[in-house]
Amino acid sequence: MGAETSRGTGPLTRKREDMKYFFFHLMSWPYLPPDFDAVYDSAWVWPPNTLYDPVKGEELYREYINTLARADELGFDGVCVNEHHQNAYGLMPSPNLIAAALTQRTQRCKIAVIGNALPLYNPPLRVAEEFAMLDVLSGGRLIAGMVIGGGPEYFSYGVNPTNARDKFRESLDLILQAWTKPGPFTWNSKHYHFRYVNPWPRPMQQPHPPIWIPGVGSLETIEFVAQRRFSYMGVPYFHIDVFRRVFAQFREACSRAGYTADPDQMGWGVPIYVAETDRQAREDFEPHFWYFVKNLMKGIGLTPPGYTSAKSAAAILKNQKHFLYTQKTWDDIERGTFAIVGSPVTVRQKLAQYQKELGCGVVLTGCQTGTLSHELTRKSMELLAREVLPYVRDVATPQAAMNVC
Amino acid sequence: MLNFLKKIQYGARVLLAKGSGQTETVDIAGRPTVIMSGGTGAPFLYLHSALGESVMWLPFYQAWAKRYRVLVPTHPGFGQSGGFDRIDTVEDMAFHYVELLDALGLDEVILGGVSLGGWIAAEIAVRWPERVKKLWLSGAPGLWVEDVPLGDLFRIAQSRTKLREMLFHDPQGPMASLVIKDEPSEQEMLSTYQSMTVLARLIWERPYDPKLAGRLHRVTRPVLLLWGDHDRLVPPAYGQAYKQHLPQAEMKLIPGCGHLAMFEKEKEFVEAVMKFCQS
Repeated sequence: MGAETSRGTGPLTRKREDMKYFFFHLMSWPYLPPDFDAVYDSAWVWPPNTLYDPVKGEELYREYINTLARADELGFDGVCVNEHHQNAYGLMPSPNLIAAALTQRTQRCKIAVIGNALPLYNPPLRVAEEFAMLDVLSGGRLIAGMVIGGGPEYFSYGVNPTNARDKFRESLDLILQAWTKPGPFTWNSKHYHFRYVNPWPRPMQQPHPPIWIPGVGSLETIEFVAQRRFSYMGVPYFHIDVFRRVFAQFREACSRAGYTADPDQMGWGVPIYVAETDRQAREDFEPHFWYFVKNLMKGIGLTPPGYTSAKSAAAILKNQKHFLYTQKTWDDIERGTFAIVGSPVTVRQKLAQYQKELGCGVVLTGCQTGTLSHELTRKSMELLAREVLPYVRDVATPQAAMNVC
Repeated sequence: MLNFLKKIQYGARVLLAKGSGQTETVDIAGRPTVIMSGGTGAPFLYLHSALGESVMWLPFYQAWAKRYRVLVPTHPGFGQSGGFDRIDTVEDMAFHYVELLDALGLDEVILGGVSLGGWIAAEIAVRWPERVKKLWLSGAPGLWVEDVPLGDLFRIAQSRTKLREMLFHDPQGPMASLVIKDEPSEQEMLSTYQSMTVLARLIWERPYDPKLAGRLHRVTRPVLLLWGDHDRLVPPAYGQAYKQHLPQAEMKLIPGCGHLAMFEKEKEFVEAVMKFCQS
């Protein structure tokens, strides 16, 4: 090693076609009781909120935000936050609040809110307003993620799951128009009617911030994102075969829509953890990862009726074996590349191999999982930023990744 | 063993009854609606629950068909009936059914229903009381009773065991495992998902109609409120709530019975309805 300093990590030295690495933080609750899995049927919707302690919560928010701010200093291309309600898995019912804090704590990285669950906002104009605020506050660094929201959110918010997809598309179009069409104008669609659409402020990026849509592999979403030329962000927690299939289908869908997919339109979500050696990395990471899988993912797959088509619901059931929650052993994790864990050399090799094979231009990762401490998280992200990413960023010359060391 | 025999016996009765019902599809203002019917006499309209009893002509329909012209339509969106894209609320269902009465040329019917079907029946009765000769409701939601929560069918829909516990007084009984099978076929699962989707469309945000209580005074004809005394999905307190707004109503509890009286206590259920209709 030792060549990393010459490669630089600043944005100015990067080429347009270089890989982009985003640092994701879920802001999980790490203080669930040891018998949580045995006692409670879900970490979503129903785990009693008396298990939440606001005093510990204050420290957690502070440290989690410190970690995200550190990602900017270390040269990650962006930081990611997202929205979940009434759960222990992710403590950002309003990711926009955390993003607002990050606009003041970061200087150059993108701030990706992936995303706001549009059908949960009434009126959805709120999203147009808050995202525009974030874009202006950050000097045009916002990435605007739009999601339907997971199944559990529909239990938590009492919003009807059977027309969530209709509402999502209507809201998305409304928000795009609110950003691009001079106001005031009138909006009328099946679920929304506004006499006056005229949000202040407007976003800084023109015509509007990049739109990212997280997806879990459904053909409907792949097709939609491709047709609209948005970016598809593959949610982690799936077997690498699922990503292979998804990105192949995405490229086909783009071709059908008459253009060639840009690698920047494809994001691969995968947890990464780096330590000095493979053994050390697994020792550091594994127990905290299982806390995440066994406790925090419990209930994540809750699917209210009508949330997907009957066919998709059946497909989801059939694909359970490719889902992280059903994995039992570390071998399962390694075989399916549910996480990349190892020494800098190991992680470089795997990253270089898969990002080339998948053809994605964006990797969404995060070193924190479950109960992993702030210290280990930051140590790992530093190793990732200094000993791994500079060697794999340039996909055009992958051999560079293999030759160093 | 006894359970097994009872299931065989029920299966035989289903086969015997089956031939007596006819099925046709009628266009109701653009919504193709499947209607099963059997018997002759005064028209008797049965509105089904979301739990699947409209898929075939069952023995309890046949029992009523000895005296009445029993009509069992499948609600829009359920089974093979169309028109789901134009149904958002239970009120929409009520309008569908008044149009069905018009289409079939029925001025006045005996109207009843179980669970969701009972709620729809109540919504029809408050809007067009003159079209409802008698009204019976079994395990019907529609009102709100403070401190007596409705069961959450959606939360437990994927657990066969929990479904049986919620819907039957005796989850180990023969009808519980006949109605909620341990290993449903893919077709049955899709069909259940479809039914739950329609139900969610109708009731997800609010499992009752805040206007209904204030409208029930419009119903002045005889009403029967028939509840399983151990109904855990729509507890008997909901029957009592209807009774509060319908002073003429008779409230009858079936002992040792859960939400689906037509399956768990078929004899008592059929007879109570029959007695009410003939009184």
